[in-house]
Amino acid sequence: MSTARIRTAKWLLCAWLAVLALPALALDHDNLDPNRPIGMEDAYAIPQGEIGLEGGVRFNDRREGRTQVTFQPQIIYGAFANTQIEIQGDLFTDPRSNVGANKSGDLHLGVLYNFNTETLNLPALAVRVEADLPTGVNSKGVDTQLTGILTRSFGRLRMHLNAGYTVLGSPQGQERPGTYRAVAAVSYPLGYPGRFRDTVIASLYTRQSDLHGQRNHTGVEIGLRHQLTSRVVLDGGLGTEFLGPAERAALLGTVGVSVGF
Amino acid sequence: MTSGKSVRMLAMVVVAMVAFALTGCSQFEPRDKRFYYRALWNFSLREDLAELDSEFNGVDFGHSNLYENLLLTGGQDVPAIEERARKETLAFIATKPRLNPNEEAIAPTYMKLAWRAQNTFDEAHALHRATYDIAVSDEPDKDRAIHNVLTYYKDSAYAITSQQLDHHRLDNFPYSKAFRQRFPLFNATIWAYHYLQVAVYDPLQVAPDLAAKTQAVRPILTAYRRYLDQPPVQWTFMPLTAELSPQFAARYPELAHIFDNLHMLHDNISDILTSERLPTWEAKRAEIYRVVNTYYLATADATNPMIAKAEQEHHH
Repeated sequence: MSTARIRTAKWLLCAWLAVLALPALALDHDNLDPNRPIGMEDAYAIPQGEIGLEGGVRFNDRREGRTQVTFQPQIIYGAFANTQIEIQGDLFTDPRSNVGANKSGDLHLGVLYNFNTETLNLPALAVRVEADLPTGVNSKGVDTQLTGILTRSFGRLRMHLNAGYTVLGSPQGQERPGTYRAVAAVSYPLGYPGRFRDTVIASLYTRQSDLHGQRNHTGVEIGLRHQLTSRVVLDGGLGTEFLGPAERAALLGTVGVSVGF
Repeated sequence: MTSGKSVRMLAMVVVAMVAFALTGCSQFEPRDKRFYYRALWNFSLREDLAELDSEFNGVDFGHSNLYENLLLTGGQDVPAIEERARKETLAFIATKPRLNPNEEAIAPTYMKLAWRAQNTFDEAHALHRATYDIAVSDEPDKDRAIHNVLTYYKDSAYAITSQQLDHHRLDNFPYSKAFRQRFPLFNATIWAYHYLQVAVYDPLQVAPDLAAKTQAVRPILTAYRRYLDQPPVQWTFMPLTAELSPQFAARYPELAHIFDNLHMLHDNISDILTSERLPTWEAKRAEIYRVVNTYYLATADATNPMIAKAEQEHHH
């Protein structure tokens, strides 16, 4: 492992310990939100009236180029029945090398609407609409995203499909004006029938590269959500991209915390 | 890709999603999860009287585990229910769980069959929890806190009626008593849960401070644990709030009615899942929804024929 990777690992360990030291201030560990800890979500909104504060640190150790660390603060609110709104603003350690919709410092607004609960005959379905306002570094134009989400369970195993399309408001240089993304994931609660605190999640994803002429980023991620207290969920995840441009991720890692109240 | 193509792609995604949604429109059932009433006393029971709270966490497991096993075994397999499922529940209770379990992980099939009924349970259980939290907390105006949380509960479309229902009539459907007759041990275990849930109210209310409350619930916990070891199969009807916590029922009659109605609904659903009179999952689902919508939800108060005309008493 390179010196840079060791340094990144130490940094993440410190961040994880800091998260553990937070006071116990209820997000459900089985309700899956994007980036907590991996890039997928289930079709359910948080309960109406709930407020969640989420935060995480994500590192992307790229095969070429510098390792990038992202801070992911987010507020989510169950504003209406089956509807959650989100405010987020990712910050990158190497903001100027970033291309695509998500620029460091962009204000990200999102709405997730869940159409239905899963029944014996029908999966749970949801739609997410998002906008990235150009408040970040080198950011221009309002980027918009639309994602369809499906959750279907087979016993305790739940399968999730996410398919989305992003339209860049003002693509620069070789940036694509629009990119698609598709994720297939499974989640499983660990410990039945004696313990109900952990959910493991794994995903396979592909997304169009940000620049013309490059292959899709295609990779896998695995993560764990752990219910620490009634109000606090911790998460951690790892991943890698096995296909994609030269600067694709060799190793992705995330640690985070969600506090509901 | 040009921006025109991007817009077309976006439109195609939208059209595909809408088409998919409309395909299953007739089967759509809203999830409608609602957060609990937010207050400073939230989780007081968990933080200050964990011994009692952990028992309630075990109770949550018991109901869901029973329904899932009844559904998957067709309500016919006595050893699967009386031995395996009941003992799984007792084993979970014995772990003294510090957090309430994820019921969708316990009963994934039942949740898909009857989410509307489960959401009705979830909201009533949250009301139960809130009343314990208030009783244990140092909230100075407990009556006001109870009033606020009850008002919040009654605002929900999933609120169980606060009217007194005629439980004997609700226990006389063609399939009624199927569960207790086929699975007397698990039925008595369920009634033991309901005993615990309502018997602690008066001791918690009367005791002046946390130390006294802790002591006051000990005899109830001792009796409850004895019932788990030796299920009270001699009981002929579920425990009622007014019998076990008369002061609480007199002070908060609406709450007492809601909790008794909740427990009666649990018995109805156990019978529906057990009875061969309702042979298919579709028939069971339809009957659960009919019973919930017609006899239990407060939204049916104006036409509910089960609302009791006069005070009635039940005896075990």
